Amino acid sequence: MLVPEVQNLDIISVNIWQMLVSMINLLLLLLIIKKFLYKPVREALSKRKETIDGQYSDAARAKQNAVSAQRAWEDKLSEAQSDADAIIDEARIAAKRKSDDIISAADAKAKVIVHRAQVDAELEKKKAQASIRGEIVDVSMLLTEKMIGREINETDHRKLIDSFINGIDSADGIGDDDNVNNQ
Amino acid sequence: MKREKDFKFILVDILLIIGIILPIVCGMVLDVLTSPAVDGVNITGARIYFTINMPIQDFPITEAQINSAIVVISLLFLCLFLTHGIKEKPDSIRQHIAEYIVEKTDSLVHDNMGRYFMSFAPFIAAIMGISLLSSLLSLVGLFPPTSDINIIAGWSILVFFIITHYKMKCGPLYYLKGLTEPIVLLTPLNILGEVSTPISMAFRHYGNVLSGSVISVLITAALQGLSQKLLGWIPGTLGQFPLLQIGLPAVLSIYFDVFSSCLQAFIFAMLTMLNISTAFPQEDYLARQRRKAEKRRIRNAGKMISTN
Repeated sequence: MLVPEVQNLDIISVNIWQMLVSMINLLLLLLIIKKFLYKPVREALSKRKETIDGQYSDAARAKQNAVSAQRAWEDKLSEAQSDADAIIDEARIAAKRKSDDIISAADAKAKVIVHRAQVDAELEKKKAQASIRGEIVDVSMLLTEKMIGREINETDHRKLIDSFINGIDSADGIGDDDNVNNQ
Repeated sequence: MKREKDFKFILVDILLIIGIILPIVCGMVLDVLTSPAVDGVNITGARIYFTINMPIQDFPITEAQINSAIVVISLLFLCLFLTHGIKEKPDSIRQHIAEYIVEKTDSLVHDNMGRYFMSFAPFIAAIMGISLLSSLLSLVGLFPPTSDINIIAGWSILVFFIITHYKMKCGPLYYLKGLTEPIVLLTPLNILGEVSTPISMAFRHYGNVLSGSVISVLITAALQGLSQKLLGWIPGTLGQFPLLQIGLPAVLSIYFDVFSSCLQAFIFAMLTMLNISTAFPQEDYLARQRRKAEKRRIRNAGKMISTN
């Protein structure tokens, strides 16, 4: 027992100094709690909030980037599609033009050929006519010789003339020639 | 390198834990060394260790003073321990506890006092912590400082100062005018109401804690008498054995020491918050601020015109 005579306060005793000291104790504890509990905890919390906010904004930025990249790719893709369409169209048009050219050239060529053939045929025909006429002249000369050489048979003569004229009319001297040769 | 750091960390931890526990142990040792032998029921105030002569009134250093100092030192080391090694990314239980305390008091203050008073969260936490730990000191057999009226009166007078400060935010004339409302006749009652706030707060807390101790002492004494009546016929020390004191005082202690301590700490903090927030005439204050700003602007405009 350190204190032999123990004194106690009364159960309700008012003392200004005790109140003051208790008030100072509370203020001291307020400072302690503010400095040693609230300040570090608030700092940690705000730092954490900053980090989380930064991560959120990073994620948002990344998402935005991804979306814009996707849009760019889609744009490029559709551009390429339209380019391809245009190229195909162009090629189709060019091919058509070319085929048209080829066809028209062939037509023209064919026309030329047909025309030449017609001209040739006409020439041949004219040639043939000329040669037939010549033969007719020969034959008539022969006939006149024969007629002069012998007595003229009137009926034969007439018949001959008729066939001759027929031959000229039909412009086909070959049959006449045959006929002439047969006689 | 890392192990060395870890070792240092653990060493600091151990020192901090010692800092929490050592004051309480010292208080217990002091209590055991100085406590007199008590016969029967003995209900008194705090034990006086020595007295300092001061102007108006002598200042007795009592158990209550020593124990509240113990509470403050313990809480200081508790705060240091909780925030020791605090990180941005929490990885320890103590950091969770510290954040829980901070966020809980923040939300409590925000719900009860509003956004304007958010800076009061540490004050409320301090009141809760000191009140709770002071009352819980009775669990280890120390004199709880909260059963001394002077301690709680100190706190409630501080709260009263804060209340009055916020009532005077709109100027002392506004405050004095508030005392004469609704009619001038009620002025004495209004003044009485102002003064009664800290007194009622102090006596509520003090009375609850003290009554708990008184009832505990009375019941313990009564049980001792009853067991002496029951077993007194047995000769020897067995007859003196306080059999009935086993059990019931422990249950009472759970109520009076633990539950009542928590409840009173919470009630004191709630009353503090409500009194301060209702004392502050926020609308009038904001209107006054606006008027002041308006006046200043007009004056500045006038100055500009006069200089031009």
